[in-house]
Amino acid sequence: MFSRTKKIYFQAVLVVVCSTSVNTVHADKPVIEIEIRDHLFWPSEVTVPANTKVKLLVYNKDPTSEEFESYELNREKVIMGNRKAVIFIGPLLPGVYPFFGEFNPDTAQGKVIVE
Amino acid sequence: MSILKEMFFLFRTVGRPSLFCLLCCYQGAVVADGTAIDKVYHPYVQPQEREIEFRSIVENNSDASSGDERIYRLGYGQSFTDRWFGEVYLIGAKNDDRGFRLEAYELEALWQVTEQGEFFADWGMLFELEKEHSEEVFELATALLVEREWRRWTGTANVYGIYEFGEDIDNEFETAMALQGRYRYVRQFEPAVELYLGQDTKGLGPVVMGSLPLGGARQIRWEGGVIFGLDSSTPDQTFRILLEYEF
Repeated sequence: MFSRTKKIYFQAVLVVVCSTSVNTVHADKPVIEIEIRDHLFWPSEVTVPANTKVKLLVYNKDPTSEEFESYELNREKVIMGNRKAVIFIGPLLPGVYPFFGEFNPDTAQGKVIVE
Repeated sequence: MSILKEMFFLFRTVGRPSLFCLLCCYQGAVVADGTAIDKVYHPYVQPQEREIEFRSIVENNSDASSGDERIYRLGYGQSFTDRWFGEVYLIGAKNDDRGFRLEAYELEALWQVTEQGEFFADWGMLFELEKEHSEEVFELATALLVEREWRRWTGTANVYGIYEFGEDIDNEFETAMALQGRYRYVRQFEPAVELYLGQDTKGLGPVVMGSLPLGGARQIRWEGGVIFGLDSSTPDQTFRILLEYEF
């Protein structure tokens, strides 16, 4: 029983690692690029198709860090200065999903429009 | 009614093969000394994140002669990269027979394996090394962390493999599991249900949690709940709280 438990546990770990690697090869999703400049999102509105997983490539062109934050999208991601981050969203129902920069919430505002 | 529909959708979809694979791990559970009730980990790391964490559980067990058992953890953690987070804990305990005492030290590392939302579920791994303060007892644990969202619902599973060793204990391998179903109602208040399974633990109960942004990278996160024992070896009720200051 002792060794069987260990075997099952490590087999499960192996299955997870392998399945994740296979999925990486076949990842193919719409890509949308967003820039952060002067504590603003460019563009501040992006339109994505409903019920589709989308890859957001967010480039932070400012020298300081910013956090892409959206409770509606269930995403928060710190992007260090002069770096980029990948954020996957969806599949989403049609609607408007606001996001903002947690470190500069007064200026860094945007929305994802799903239609 | 929509919540009930979403709940049905959540539990129907949880039956996917990969999560079934994780559930299979629990079938061979051996001995899990002490309680498996603690907290449910999520497989995410934020770069440049630092936190101070306090969490406590109080076991109310009508069969225990030493009264309620209280366990306290105080930790400091920070991320080292955008995928790795480390934390160090001091663990204390007290009951009616013994006053507060330092019980153990723990090192913890969390690895975010996949990007959130990239695959059908998000994956991470947790590594823990714990040393008893006054005994030559060590505990080395690894856990698979899995999370998936269904609109406003998220389901999280932590599946542990634990190896206890040292001069003052018989070496043994154990397994344990924690499951959480959470409804993202508003940021400050998210109700959840948690299930904990181990050899000496079978508990289920409601938990509420939330976070309060304080501006910039600072925020307070909190969790609180009560887990009811489902068998005679689990305390009747286990109360758990967590307070975390992120900065």
